[in-house]
Amino acid sequence: MLSTDFQFFAPTALDEALALLHEHQDGGKVLSGGMSMMPAINLGVLRPTAIVSLNHVPGLDGLEDAGDHLRIGGLVRHHVVQSDPLVRAHAPLLAQAASVIADVQVRHRGTIGGSVAHADPSADYLPVLVALDATVELASASGTRDVRAREFFVDVMMTALALDEIVVGLRVPKVPAEGGSAYVRLARVEGSFAIACAAAVAVGDRVSLGVGGAVPTPVHLDVTCDGSEASLDAAAEAAFQACEDAYGDLNGSAEYRRAMARVYARRAIQQALAARG
Amino acid sequence: MKVPISVTVNERQHELLIDPRLTLVYLLRENLGLTGAHVGCATGNCGACAVRLDGRTVKSCSILAADVSGSSITTIEGLSSSARDLHPIQQAFVENQGLQCGFCTPGMVLSTLQLLEQNPDPTEDEVRHAISGNLCRCTGYQFVVQSILAAAEKVRAGAPA
Repeated sequence: MLSTDFQFFAPTALDEALALLHEHQDGGKVLSGGMSMMPAINLGVLRPTAIVSLNHVPGLDGLEDAGDHLRIGGLVRHHVVQSDPLVRAHAPLLAQAASVIADVQVRHRGTIGGSVAHADPSADYLPVLVALDATVELASASGTRDVRAREFFVDVMMTALALDEIVVGLRVPKVPAEGGSAYVRLARVEGSFAIACAAAVAVGDRVSLGVGGAVPTPVHLDVTCDGSEASLDAAAEAAFQACEDAYGDLNGSAEYRRAMARVYARRAIQQALAARG
Repeated sequence: MKVPISVTVNERQHELLIDPRLTLVYLLRENLGLTGAHVGCATGNCGACAVRLDGRTVKSCSILAADVSGSSITTIEGLSSSARDLHPIQQAFVENQGLQCGFCTPGMVLSTLQLLEQNPDPTEDEVRHAISGNLCRCTGYQFVVQSILAAAEKVRAGAPA
């Protein structure tokens, strides 16, 4: 039995969920997959007074082709992102990122909206979403709004979300047919949080790069790279410079993480260029 | 404040009134007496608490019991009725010394079931990926991996998965 006492709500409509969250915003938490939140509650480091589960709210787990982008519901679980044919065809780097999150059992339960809202600096989706210039769709009892992923992440586990807002979905631009993309990461063992990770989307010689893991919030850069050693080195150096806020923890010092950000940014760009259609 | 839930566990329907502070693993162990799922780390790392939730393995230490109302759960107890009637995966673990202390074994067996349903002929590498969410502190994994490969052979030879 958990030591934290909370009220539990399992609303079956979005309006109801948002109203509950608004009412309980002081001390309440939204629960989706719970793969980060429940361990924190088990450890006693998080003590919510109310939990509003989204797991029984219909309509949050859709995944559709919306023309130039994919629309992915916040409650879509990692194993679906990993294997869905639409994601694999149009945003393969997002499927790649999903496939290396934690382990099979966590991927069965954890959700993309939960990961984005939690905003762990090492979360695999984050550099991908900034590289693709995805849009985060938010909703609260007072309405909806959109925030670009590039502006959504504010600091370590801090986002643009208000206390009574949830991530209802993401709009993820497709990688153009003639483009290529890649996601790469460094972790101590499979399933560990990334020490450094990078996502790249290449169209022609223009590369949109997202770097995560090493920094409090994902870094985005646009670089030009023709695939030559000199251009790759220059792009990797730009990524290194952009990671001046690199932080250290048990998995690696700030210096090491920043050095690895350079290495993995280079690899992501190289692989994205090689994957061009 | 207790909450009502309705769950099917190992094909038996239960209507329960529970404290929302119960995680799924404690519901199974303490309320239903199914002690096969173990509490190892309580942080979603070790996989000793693995159960199947609507046909997919999950970590039951990190899921609220109140949040799975309406779901169907299979625990290790649901795989066989007695020691004389082991599931082929369990049999393969016995024959290949795939367990020492046994603490991680229920999770390993359920992860094997998940793997073989999707891939009945896994390579050793695929086996190791499939159990990356199950930590064993005894065997160094070698016999576990051998057991899973042997289980795959049994299943391919026609034993029901």
